[in-house]
Amino acid sequence: MDTMGPWLIVRGLLVTARHFFRNLLGFLRRRPTIATILYPEEAQQWSPAMRGMPVLVQMENGKERCVACGLCEWACPVDCITIYPAETSDEVERYPEIFTIDMSRCMFCGFCEEACPEEAIVMSQRVAIATTEWRGSLWEKRDLLVPVRELGTRLDHIRRDYERPAVPAAAPVTERVEKQ
Amino acid sequence: MGPSHPSTHGTVKITLKLDGERIVDSQVEVGYLHRGFEKECESGEYYKAIPYTDRLNYASPMINNVGYCLAAEKLFGVAAPIRAQYLRTIACELSRMSDHFTCIGAAALELAALTPFLYCVQAREQIWDLHESLCGARVTTNYVRIGGLQSDLQPGFEEICRAKVAAALRLFGDVDELLTKNPIFRDRMEGTGALPAETLLAYGVTGPLLRAAGVPYDVRRAEPYLVYDRLDFDVPVGASGDNYDRYLVRFAELRQSARIIEQALRDLPDGPVDVEDPRFRWPAKGKVFNRMEELIDQFKLVTEGMRPPAGEVYQAVEGANGELGFYLVSNGTGKPWKCRCRAPSFSNTQALRDMIQGALLADVIPTFDMVNMIGGECDR
Amino acid sequence: MSDGTQQPIEAPRSDPAVLALLRERFPEAVLATHAYRGDATAEVAPASLLEVCTFLRDDPALAFDFLVDVTAVDYIGSVPRFEVVYHLYSLPRNHRVRLKARVPEESPRIASVTSIWRGANWLERETFDMYGIHFEGHPDLRRIYLYEEFQGHPLRKDYPKEKRQPLVTARDVAAPQAARSEARDRERYGRWQ
Repeated sequence: MDTMGPWLIVRGLLVTARHFFRNLLGFLRRRPTIATILYPEEAQQWSPAMRGMPVLVQMENGKERCVACGLCEWACPVDCITIYPAETSDEVERYPEIFTIDMSRCMFCGFCEEACPEEAIVMSQRVAIATTEWRGSLWEKRDLLVPVRELGTRLDHIRRDYERPAVPAAAPVTERVEKQ
Repeated sequence: MGPSHPSTHGTVKITLKLDGERIVDSQVEVGYLHRGFEKECESGEYYKAIPYTDRLNYASPMINNVGYCLAAEKLFGVAAPIRAQYLRTIACELSRMSDHFTCIGAAALELAALTPFLYCVQAREQIWDLHESLCGARVTTNYVRIGGLQSDLQPGFEEICRAKVAAALRLFGDVDELLTKNPIFRDRMEGTGALPAETLLAYGVTGPLLRAAGVPYDVRRAEPYLVYDRLDFDVPVGASGDNYDRYLVRFAELRQSARIIEQALRDLPDGPVDVEDPRFRWPAKGKVFNRMEELIDQFKLVTEGMRPPAGEVYQAVEGANGELGFYLVSNGTGKPWKCRCRAPSFSNTQALRDMIQGALLADVIPTFDMVNMIGGECDR
Repeated sequence: MSDGTQQPIEAPRSDPAVLALLRERFPEAVLATHAYRGDATAEVAPASLLEVCTFLRDDPALAFDFLVDVTAVDYIGSVPRFEVVYHLYSLPRNHRVRLKARVPEESPRIASVTSIWRGANWLERETFDMYGIHFEGHPDLRRIYLYEEFQGHPLRKDYPKEKRQPLVTARDVAAPQAARSEARDRERYGRWQ
């Protein structure tokens, strides 16, 4: 096999050279073929399904849509959401006085969004949230509120699944326990 | 060697007793990534364990999701609609591809071949783009639900999927050209780490390692789950069971996975992806917003969880490294009484000591690479 | 195929014949059997575990050559408290069985099956680590995930999830090594100094 060595080196170099020239051509044509991007200058193109950090939806009148029912708090596997509800004279009657997400614990699972019965907490496309200290990862309500017009992509995406195709209800499965 | 050694991926400590460069005895110590997976699962409702399963084998998260949800569905006595089953199959095979890309790329890297690693990672990126399109996350997928899926396909997924899988395989063709006939790579891989099939079985080794030794055991074949019995695929087996065979088996499995994905995309039926049953699956959001009944269901499901009958089930799926099983015990409440994960990496790593016994120190690295111990799964 | 209706649960795959054979061979050692959702399960007396396991492995009609998993379940409050669970699979026969044996809280001991399946080694160590069940005859029963100084067994139900462990003083692993290499250097290069 040793006599094959030089030929194999040439073959290997051909493979890498092919990549090199294709990428060079892509660079010259300004249609990059490489997988990496120049990150802070170029924005990453996410899929609409992309789950970034959870944010609160801010309605046109500047208030949050959240009614502090606490379902996201329940659904959160890592208990990173804290809500203190309060009453208001608006028609929704309740609002979260304090709504905190500890982003150092959040694992971007999206259960809060799925559990929410009000479309009030959604996964945004925001991911650059690193901080240099622990307190910086504690997001208060005023940091979390995002105007509804900025969340169009995500809302359109999750609204696709609001109406599922109709199916017959699941047939009850009989127990098959055979204790002897 | 280890816990953090530059030529091993995964945190593991191997204490070696050497005679010159020969390994006289060794001791493998795991546990550096232990996070109490089972304790966490037992302290939350059934659905809350799904995101934790992503983090078991983080190179193939979808398979863990599917394995857990199939076990839970078996316990609950519910089955997902057929479209969901097809989509889960596609997701599983995508994950298997990404796992094999990771394994082969890392193995090449640790044997000092940097370029194949870069191609493998680029190919894996294609697969992760598909993960992202399916569920919104690249690694921490949280895609499969008990009785359904998180969401249906995005429009145009089929075409993107075909294109990306083809691109990944093209890149992998380059890896093939660089590695498979490379004399240095073959010298390191051939004849190292081999164990007879009986010993492997006695250790409970499954997956590509066992198949490379000539035993065609694949859970997808032996006990078909999802829709694997309707799809046509081969189970590649090796002959000698050395590291080179393991590499070739993984290689062949990649192509089989691509075949399965192609068939599943072709046969993908229309229909719902979720069970319409308020006992198991959260109701559709459109109804939650507008109707009282579904709103109550939603509140009950989120706060109390799904309540299975009391009982115990074990469900095995073919993980990327072997048989991945979940053993669930329910006492009738919304939380699992016991949630046990049978991790293939754990049993595979156990056999590492015998594989490197009497070998050279340099053989540890290719053997360890092909065992492909994934810390998250091994240590849980 | 595109009707979108519910698929029925698959027919039981585990062969209940396994259970019939077991009951016939060990009428008093097999305490109870069931096949919930098709998983053949047998509860055996802990004293005859080794005998049952050897039979399961060696009988040509059963041929359970693959020990899938060993774990335990903590039924706190009931007597006996712990249940050690073995999952077995047979490659030639393609069937599964689950064995269970109850062990009491005051002496959580059971025979080790490492002599029958070598793969039980780490699995039993893990069960010991997590539940504190002693496997008698195990060649190397130590903690596997946690460190030696860890107090308690975390998967027991009376171990709170939030419990914190006392800090352990760092073990000095470097000192003896340094002394050894110094001695070796002296031995090798001493004559030039």
